[in-house]
Amino acid sequence: MTPTEWGIVALAVAGAFFGGVAAVGLVRLPDVYTRSHAASKSDTLGAILAIAAAALALQTGLSTAKSVFLLVFMFITNPTAAHAVARAAQDQGIEPWTADEGDDK
Amino acid sequence: MSDTDARRILVPVGDSDSLRDTVSYVVDRASETASDRPVEIHFVLAARTQAVNPDAPTALGTAREQLERVALWVEEETAEATAVARDDRASDAAGESDADADGEAPAADSDDETGWLTVVTDVVGTDRYLFSPSDYADALLEYAAAADIDQIVVDPEYKPGGTASMLQPMSVELAGGDVPVETAPVDRPTEGAVLARAASLSKYLTVFGVSYLFYMSLSAWKPLDFFTGFVTASIVSLALAPVVANRSAPLGVTLRRLGRMLVYVPYLVKEIAVANLQVAYVVLHPDMPIDPEVVQLRAAVWGDGAVTTLANSITLTPGTLTVNVSERSFDIHSLTADSRSDLFDGGLERAVRFVFYGRAAARIPTPRERGDAGEGRDG
Repeated sequence: MTPTEWGIVALAVAGAFFGGVAAVGLVRLPDVYTRSHAASKSDTLGAILAIAAAALALQTGLSTAKSVFLLVFMFITNPTAAHAVARAAQDQGIEPWTADEGDDK
Repeated sequence: MSDTDARRILVPVGDSDSLRDTVSYVVDRASETASDRPVEIHFVLAARTQAVNPDAPTALGTAREQLERVALWVEEETAEATAVARDDRASDAAGESDADADGEAPAADSDDETGWLTVVTDVVGTDRYLFSPSDYADALLEYAAAADIDQIVVDPEYKPGGTASMLQPMSVELAGGDVPVETAPVDRPTEGAVLARAASLSKYLTVFGVSYLFYMSLSAWKPLDFFTGFVTASIVSLALAPVVANRSAPLGVTLRRLGRMLVYVPYLVKEIAVANLQVAYVVLHPDMPIDPEVVQLRAAVWGDGAVTTLANSITLTPGTLTVNVSERSFDIHSLTADSRSDLFDGGLERAVRFVFYGRAAARIPTPRERGDAGEGRDG
């Protein structure tokens, strides 16, 4: 394999890993706030790595440019969406889960 | 009917163009119910004086003047409203309530007295430093609890502590208390903060052109693409031209910021990568060692652009999630103690300051050193 191919594989594997972390976190974490940590960020990094792998694999100028635009938009929209979810939760008066609370239950 | 049965309405007073109309509305409302029981209207001004300087004579003087003016307005209003209220009562078959209301109307600490209506004016918040709208709301709600207030009527233009477009209206802040809150239905000179502005034709054309070029640069240059691109760019320019670049900085400043942004993005990506590994460790660890907590950070950044960039960067950096922003005070949900400590070390904040204000501004002390790092939500 060429170095480029190694790079593509590494990026794709890392992307899949962080996507997996996001899914596991979504299931394991206790409340809406902590879950949106996993859903928004590990997911963002996973998607970004996967898109970067695609950009590297496509090689043609235009498709790579499109992939880069996708990256930029992920960077802007993902945290905004996570913020909207968290803020809506706070407006609804949902109390964040804390470690000592969890021990009591 | 005793004094304690009076219906008590709280009206926050502040600099506002529609305050006169709100006073009028409140007095009208009060006169409607005055036939049942007397009404006390509490006009309360939350004064922005610093606790460190208790004298602050000018600020308090202005507050008193403002309250006196409000009391005068009420007198004007009651000249006619009293007549209406008395008519209502005269038509009441039972003369009892009439006698009670007129005879025993509370006279204590009232500036204005018309029998059925008592006006109370007060200044709150002089003992502390009011900064954010929620500080004002807390001060007012404390007063409401102490004075046994039945209802709060808020002027829609009452905006103490700033008018950034991202702030919640005062009525939302006040609704956190036990007292029902109503926003006075008065004509507002401006509809909230100005997000959209009437755009000039050249701006529509610019937005159209940029959108069209962007669309074509991503398309395959087939005839159909020219058509769909035209339609898309038309929709985009019609919808977004009033919103785009309303408060843009001078071109030179923008270019310098873009240049420094190029330095910032790799730094941010590195932060994201490192922090993501930490979160992956926490999530995959069998015991899941998380210790979530909402903390407050008063960030040393100013302006919508910088605050938004910092808020999004905080959210992108794993372990920290911006829950709410008012002015420059951030409510941040943090997943672990490490992520909190990174946050208060102020690396991201410094980087955002570097992007927006240059190298010199980056040297401000960290939030921890400034004392702007708050554990838990106070309030």
